[in-house]
Amino acid sequence: MDTLLNLWSTIESWMLAFPVVIYLVKIGILLGCVFAVVAYITLAERRLLGFYQSRLGPNRVGPLGLIQPVADGLKCFLKEDIVPLNSNPLLFRLAPVFAFFPPFAGFAVFTFALPWVMPNGRTYHYSVADVDLGVLFIMAISSLGIFGLILAGWSSGSKYPLFGSLRSASQMLAYEVPLTLSVISVVMMAGSFRLSDIVAAQQAYKFYFFIPCIIGFVVYFISSVAEMNRTPFDLPEGESEIIGFHTEYSGMRFAFFFVAEYANVVFISMLAPALFLGGYDIPFVNDLALYGAHPNIVSILGVCSYAAKSTIFALFVIWVRATFPRYRYDQLLKIGWLVLLPIALANLFVVAGIKLFLLK
Amino acid sequence: MEAISKFIRMITFPELFKGMAVTAKYFFQRKVTEQYPDQKTILPYRTKGKLHVDIDKCISLCRFCEKVCPEGCIKVFPPPKELAKTDKRPVEFYINQEHCLHCGMCVDSCSTGAIHHSDEYELVVIDFKELLGDKETLPYDMIKKHYRWNYLENVPVKIKDSPLKEEEKSQ
Ligand code: SF4
Ligand code: SF4
Repeated sequence: MDTLLNLWSTIESWMLAFPVVIYLVKIGILLGCVFAVVAYITLAERRLLGFYQSRLGPNRVGPLGLIQPVADGLKCFLKEDIVPLNSNPLLFRLAPVFAFFPPFAGFAVFTFALPWVMPNGRTYHYSVADVDLGVLFIMAISSLGIFGLILAGWSSGSKYPLFGSLRSASQMLAYEVPLTLSVISVVMMAGSFRLSDIVAAQQAYKFYFFIPCIIGFVVYFISSVAEMNRTPFDLPEGESEIIGFHTEYSGMRFAFFFVAEYANVVFISMLAPALFLGGYDIPFVNDLALYGAHPNIVSILGVCSYAAKSTIFALFVIWVRATFPRYRYDQLLKIGWLVLLPIALANLFVVAGIKLFLLK
Repeated sequence: MEAISKFIRMITFPELFKGMAVTAKYFFQRKVTEQYPDQKTILPYRTKGKLHVDIDKCISLCRFCEKVCPEGCIKVFPPPKELAKTDKRPVEFYINQEHCLHCGMCVDSCSTGAIHHSDEYELVVIDFKELLGDKETLPYDMIKKHYRWNYLENVPVKIKDSPLKEEEKSQ
């Protein structure tokens, strides 16, 4: 044990000399976890969709189909990469990157648990950069993802992908405003844009924000399904009938869009618990009191509880996908502007009233 | 009042939850997938699969099956005339199952019921020659022994005093 601690203090002194190393290590761990989760959420979704449709889903590659994501990745990697003659080659090659990086960049501002305390008293935060405008950063960065889709359709030089991007543009008009308004209600309750502060506020109030902002939660859920481009709002791609923005893509570039979509799912399923369901707070337990006594146990349990909440949210999203047919895009605009926007505004006033008069 | 209930319906989406209940029900139901190489289907009684021939039963001189086959994929070689007086079994019997349509006309026309369908359906081979059955390789199993189509066995209605029934029995 002593030798281990000595080793650790040597490593730590090195890391303190070059603080960038800490960030690089954290980014490496975070990206590794996110990629693993994204790979397996594709499998989970395919198997669960199978169950919802009385099928079994892919279960032949490895035990329970667990090696399926590797096989999918290999397949996409070995496919020919086609750039259409009619396309704008530079934008065509850039578009997958535009779609790919926003969800991964967004993970940087999450806090996954209360800080880990080393035996020598130094604390390590479960976050890469817990910036004080975290929520704004997330709203900004996740809106960038739409550029990827629009660029992809536009640069393909083919009419059907162009229609796909048109639909995705109209979809963005429909969901962005209600989404932002419902998030603002949470920010108003917490009084801070920092994600860890929002969770801390929920711990301090001893109730989760989905209770005062229940309407906001529903609005947030509906518009985040639209943001993830999933059924019932999967207008940009329309896997089954209408032709989507990535029609001309093949091989690895298509895989980029695919991974981006699922990274978005993971991203939203991690964001929603932080905003509405208490994040890494362990339910029915006074975390902050326990944290004083056993900091590391509480922080590990916090990671688990965060993971469980996000898993439940992601499963619900898959359930929604298995159930509903797709809306037309004029219907989506109608829902966005005539239903979601008014009730999101109403929710804003309700939350403001609660904050002003009930919590004083 | 109606407007209020309409508004409540609009913001609580009851239909959506009904739909989700349906899919949730399917989630816990038994799955219908058949995992083919591990689980095999139990085929219905009258499956028209690969042809089986009982060489000992064939009287070979009639060659009905050969004449009726629309694909011409049966070839029967009857024995020479002197031999045929005592032993009518074919000298050689070919069925090219590669070209067979599984139409069943040979089975219907056979005068002795020597040729019949089995429930084998896995006809994927590497070399087509594997599907050419001759006297030695044409299989015959006693389990799936339909001499004629038994048209009455699967009829759910009970048939009493039918003349056909006596006919069936006598076979
Ligand atoms: S089943 Fe039809 S095609 Fe096949 S051998 Fe008999 S008559 Fe010919
Ligand atoms: S019809 Fe029947 S009995 Fe006649 S040759 Fe063919 S298999 Fe033999």
